[in-house]
Amino acid sequence: MTNLPQDAPELLPYGKIREDLFRPLSGLTKRYFVALLIPFLIILFGGYAWSVQIRTGMGVTGLHRPVFWGLYIVDFVFWIGISHAGTLISAILRLTEAGWRKPITRAAEAITVFALMIGGMFPIIHLGRSWFFYWLIPYPNSRLIWPNFRSPLLWDLTAILTYVTGSVIYLYLPLIPDLAQLGEHGSRLRRKIYNLLSLGWTGSDTEWHALERAMKLMAGIILAVAVSVHTVVAWDFSMAIAPMWHSTIFGPYFVVGAIFSGLAALMIVMAAIRKLMGLELYLTKYHFNNLAKLILLMSVLWFYFTMAEHLTAWYGKDPAEIAVFGARVFGRFAFPFWLMVFVNFVVPFILLGIRRLRSITSGVIASFGILVGMYLERYLIVVPTLSNTRLPAAGSVNYSPSWVELAITVATFAAMVFLYLVFAKLVPIIAVWEFKPHEFEEGEEA
Amino acid sequence: MSDITWLIGEFKNTESVAAIVRSLHSAGSTNADIDLFSEEPVELPKGVLERPSRMSLVAVLGAITLGSLATTGVWAAQHNYSLVTGGMPIFSFWGTGVITYETTMMGAVFSTFFWFIWESKLFRKKDPTAPVPVVPPESICVRVRWKGDPAKPEALFHHAGAISVERKAPQ
Repeated sequence: MTNLPQDAPELLPYGKIREDLFRPLSGLTKRYFVALLIPFLIILFGGYAWSVQIRTGMGVTGLHRPVFWGLYIVDFVFWIGISHAGTLISAILRLTEAGWRKPITRAAEAITVFALMIGGMFPIIHLGRSWFFYWLIPYPNSRLIWPNFRSPLLWDLTAILTYVTGSVIYLYLPLIPDLAQLGEHGSRLRRKIYNLLSLGWTGSDTEWHALERAMKLMAGIILAVAVSVHTVVAWDFSMAIAPMWHSTIFGPYFVVGAIFSGLAALMIVMAAIRKLMGLELYLTKYHFNNLAKLILLMSVLWFYFTMAEHLTAWYGKDPAEIAVFGARVFGRFAFPFWLMVFVNFVVPFILLGIRRLRSITSGVIASFGILVGMYLERYLIVVPTLSNTRLPAAGSVNYSPSWVELAITVATFAAMVFLYLVFAKLVPIIAVWEFKPHEFEEGEEA
Repeated sequence: MSDITWLIGEFKNTESVAAIVRSLHSAGSTNADIDLFSEEPVELPKGVLERPSRMSLVAVLGAITLGSLATTGVWAAQHNYSLVTGGMPIFSFWGTGVITYETTMMGAVFSTFFWFIWESKLFRKKDPTAPVPVVPPESICVRVRWKGDPAKPEALFHHAGAISVERKAPQ
């Protein structure tokens, strides 16, 4: 039936696959608690920093006229970008029926949900008076406050709400069969919760048919939503007539950047899962090799868009654009700019492009670099435009984030680790039921 | 006393499953009487135990409904309290386009999920008295609801290559 290599994980007995993938869920070790405690403490400190901001006001941040968008918006764009790791990649691979997606999809979809939860908080944190966030939602009220539906910020709200809802359902649907299996093991309480969440799944063909159809449909829908979400995030900038923001290619540029950073995050998470959970048999070099190729492709695309964006600004010679362009490329933002180009293009090109150098370790190194580079990219989009004011008397303004902004930013990374650790303890990080033999293409290796 | 019997047969490959489904159809059973149970989706040849679906249609209808409702809501909200638009129309399809698009997608997401619940019959089992087999690893169980003498379908099960066949009374 198949021409799988002898050591392909799909050839293992189903019982063994199930045992290997369910094993990490049982038992709570000291090591696990310590791993959980560290990010938790960082999150607590981030929470404290936010409480300082709420009690004192936005003055505790580095934001000041005219730089009203700073690290929080950078974080927002960055995390929404990371969220593209999962749903988008999983949807593309599912729709194209790429067999190698199987051990990757759930880990990727979980990244999406958590990154969206984290990223979605930033507009609220950035509001200052966070408790009024619900004013964005249209509801009849005595003060006749209605949101401006033409504002890209309201578009953000709708887009992100749709994306979160879709992603949670997209993560949950393929979890149902595994939850049903988990409902047969563990403590009474655990069994009860899993059985409740599995909605009485029995594994009948009616259920499988419905699940497969729903997953295919959801993959198509979520793909359209994911592309639109990051396009809308890009429009937060490009709808403003501001230098280096008012660009027609910002939508696709952001989408490419989002997939790029998402893939890098996925590579790191996969390598961590592989090592920490002992899943070397399931997350093989073959999977990392394919991911590395995708990252390389996105790196080239990202470089192409960055070049197109900057070349047109330089060629146009519009004084306002040139001021921002100059600050980015030769001026005070030159170091982060060239560092970004180096880690986003040069490093992946060498480490992942040269076959001899391509390995799991080099992939992880390149991915860390890409995450740094993509964070810098967001920073370089947000800050230089705002700090190069167009009023002659105002000159240029320096923005440096305060400890409050930095603490909240660091806490979000800790939150990602924390949520992921909890998730990996509650459900198998690889979809057990999806692990059935598939035809390998000619020349594929396990 | 009811003369309904449930028969559950265990198989190891899809060819045998397809054979028993065809035999049961020839013996008078309908798709509604037959269920397969497995730990992963089973792909049977085209025409064998097909389950028609309206999920795509429902998703499209759900999408159009929510998208239209949301756009109407935006229209009503903007007319209820006219924003200062500097001479631009109070309501603009261009300006509302993103909201219409996203809520349309939201409609598709919700309707797909709810239709999955409906079509999978998770909350509306065909027959609550039907026994649910415990599927051994790498096996496929075929359950059939049989009215009359169960010896005939039992023979069909064995002939198709069942490893074991069990008779079960309604629970």
